[in-house]
Amino acid sequence: MNRMRIKITGESGSGLLSTGDIITKALEEIGFNIVSDREYPSLIKGGYSCYTINISTENIWSLSEQADIMLSLDKQSLEELHDKLKPGGHLIHGYERNLDKTLEKMDCEVTSVQGRTIAKEQGGSFLMVNVVLIGVLWKVLGLDYKYVEEEVKKKFASKPKLLEIDLRCLKAGYDMAETKFELEIPKAKKDQIVINGNNAIALGAIHAGCRAYYAYPMSPASSILSYMAKYAKDTGVLVKQAEDEITAAQMTIGSMYAGTRAMTATSGGGYDLMTETVSLAGIIETPMVLCIAQRPGPGTGLPTWTAQADLNLAIHSSHGEFTRLVIAVSNPTDCFDLIQHAFNYAEEFQIPVIVLTEKVIAESLISVDRFEQNKIPIKRGLSTEEHQNEDRYKITESGISPRWIPGSQEAYYFANGDEHWESGELTEEAEPCRQMYAKRNRKAIALEQALPEPEIIGNPKAKISFVGWGSSKNTMLDIIAENPEVNYLHYAYMYPLKTKVLNQFFKDNSNVHLIEGNYAGQLGQYIEAKTDNKFQGKLLKTNGRPFFLEDIQDYINQNS
Amino acid sequence: MLDPKDIQHLAEHADDLTQFDTSQKMTWCSNCGNYGIQNALKRALTLEGIGRNEFLMCFDVGCNGNGSDKFECNTIHGLHGRVISLAAGVKLANHKMHVIASGGDGATFSEGVNHLVHAVRNDYPIIFIHHNNENYGLTTGQASACTAKGAVMNASPYGVNIEPINTLDFVLSLSPTFVARGYSGEVDQMTDLLRKALNHNGFAFVEILQACPTYNKETPDEWYAARVNDVSALKEYDNTDIWAARKLVEFGDQDNVPTGLIYHNPRDHNFMDLQPGRENIKTTLVDEVKRVNINMLLER
Repeated sequence: MNRMRIKITGESGSGLLSTGDIITKALEEIGFNIVSDREYPSLIKGGYSCYTINISTENIWSLSEQADIMLSLDKQSLEELHDKLKPGGHLIHGYERNLDKTLEKMDCEVTSVQGRTIAKEQGGSFLMVNVVLIGVLWKVLGLDYKYVEEEVKKKFASKPKLLEIDLRCLKAGYDMAETKFELEIPKAKKDQIVINGNNAIALGAIHAGCRAYYAYPMSPASSILSYMAKYAKDTGVLVKQAEDEITAAQMTIGSMYAGTRAMTATSGGGYDLMTETVSLAGIIETPMVLCIAQRPGPGTGLPTWTAQADLNLAIHSSHGEFTRLVIAVSNPTDCFDLIQHAFNYAEEFQIPVIVLTEKVIAESLISVDRFEQNKIPIKRGLSTEEHQNEDRYKITESGISPRWIPGSQEAYYFANGDEHWESGELTEEAEPCRQMYAKRNRKAIALEQALPEPEIIGNPKAKISFVGWGSSKNTMLDIIAENPEVNYLHYAYMYPLKTKVLNQFFKDNSNVHLIEGNYAGQLGQYIEAKTDNKFQGKLLKTNGRPFFLEDIQDYINQNS
Repeated sequence: MLDPKDIQHLAEHADDLTQFDTSQKMTWCSNCGNYGIQNALKRALTLEGIGRNEFLMCFDVGCNGNGSDKFECNTIHGLHGRVISLAAGVKLANHKMHVIASGGDGATFSEGVNHLVHAVRNDYPIIFIHHNNENYGLTTGQASACTAKGAVMNASPYGVNIEPINTLDFVLSLSPTFVARGYSGEVDQMTDLLRKALNHNGFAFVEILQACPTYNKETPDEWYAARVNDVSALKEYDNTDIWAARKLVEFGDQDNVPTGLIYHNPRDHNFMDLQPGRENIKTTLVDEVKRVNINMLLER
């Protein structure tokens, strides 16, 4: 089926989120594949927001900017966002006052109801207009009433008196409207889950044996903290909201040194504060997993919007030189998998691992296959042999020395942030300093060899090709599903850079473009510096919005 | 003074005491207070029967931090100002280990004062030794937040023109559970205080007024010796009374430096006992790293 694109617009605080959630969950129950995301300003009440839902009977991963149907909860948001409804689309609203001026600007079919009047007639208040409109939407889409009724019941289960009125409002809205669309209905509900990237990261970490989570609230990473805290009683994970990001990072490295698995997440500004600790992890060779949920900077930037602009930060942050790994996630499935790999690489190579996610990944709900558990073994890289103190930082060919949990055997060591020799004892002598410095840095060679190559999506050869990372993969997947003339090379493991498949990709394809959500084309610059490949063009986006299908389609039209 | 029983114990367990001794070259000045503090800590650990695999030491950056490889045990030497957070992370991961952190007055009352505030508030069950020599020794004698007004220091050639922080008054204002003070010239008293701290189930703030023979010539050990008063000798002083403690340190003057166990009021539960989902759990986070099935969470 073609995707059906729904946009709900409203003020922040107008009940947009719960309206969107009810609709999303009801659509999920029917068995649709869903992608939904919320665009909203960084404030608690007021300002216009929208909740976008795309559904299909096929797998979908990304959103279209345009909508087929728009449900408007208030006038201001309609004024601001009316151009997101495609020409000839369908508008649903519940205003009782004249909207002619706004509607003049739009080319659309309209279903309107007297929202407040209906809500009042059913014994409700103006707060229940949203429920009336959900009923209207459901009828316009021609969907089975029981699904939406069930979700409304779940949503208001704790308020039985209001629930009765809500259900009457829902029914009144439903009965009042006419069906305008004929959707292909999924044959059965698949064994899928609808989940956002932050919850998937939390679940992956819990699955991998992460026992402590330390963080300071910062959008768009905060929901990892809330999720971890919400389920702490079930998981036994120690969840601590620290006094600042420096503390979160320090507690993480302290716990990892002691021998457990711990994690922290933040956004770019918070990560700036953590960078000294990352450098400490570099010299004491203590594993660490840090997650940066990207939003546009610099400064406070756009706290509730999305970006792919902190790749350079992840690669170049922290003083001195040391081996690190940078991974970028794309969607809930790889959030769940890659965070597990992050812990394994961190422990096996005794390095900081920085995991990049983005607001659009962190908060978008996507239907994905139920996560495959027990697929990725827990690899701790801990030595079980008896050791001497000086084994801990032994100069080895690979640069990796034995690591054991402090206190687990007679041998002990100094995890020394000062330059040191093999048992961690301080040294400032030239030759040992040179050797230890080189040991830490040559771990990157073994690390690079251990990493998977980037993945090619689509045919090996295509008329137009893209290279990118992060959430771009989701949009490319949807583009390529419709168009075999396009292919895409995706980097999940960003640094150190794998180049073999990349070089072949450039050999096989003559029209290769870069796609990135930043100004400089950071991955592109890195690739062009490390290899002889040159991009034919760059599709870059820096307005806080993710890559929509239209962005890539338009670019393809202009460049093929 | 150490109890004769304790002296006997140390004599009989000389190997336990000397296991911590290093063959590294010492890099502190002669008469540096750090020697006495290390000595006291070694004794306290020996007297409490705490073996090498039963504690971890965390060091800030500064002169005391240069002791991180001069105490033969598991140590971590971290960043400037951050040792309290680091030590908290270590302790929460492995609550079966004693965690002993040390930092200087620069780290504790300038660079990382926020960590001190929140460690007291959270009552993380660690020992924190505040090495207060009233200056930045390792960077060659700049003023700290604890330097006396008027002192001429590196980078303060005309003398420090603001008042220092009253360290104990500050800590006592945060509702702590353990506040003690000794000075680096009196190893027996420090040993006693550190033993008490090792038995405290919460955040133990132990300030050591530390001689710095190079950059703080005004207050050597002898200077303190002539002025300290151990609160245990005070009649009618109740060290579980926060207001008595605050009054004592607030009105302390140059010639009357209160030392000893200034305040002690342990809570029934420590930080870890209060964590949701961790009540009555005996294992440490270190023991628990294994596969966790997430089916239950996916159903929600």
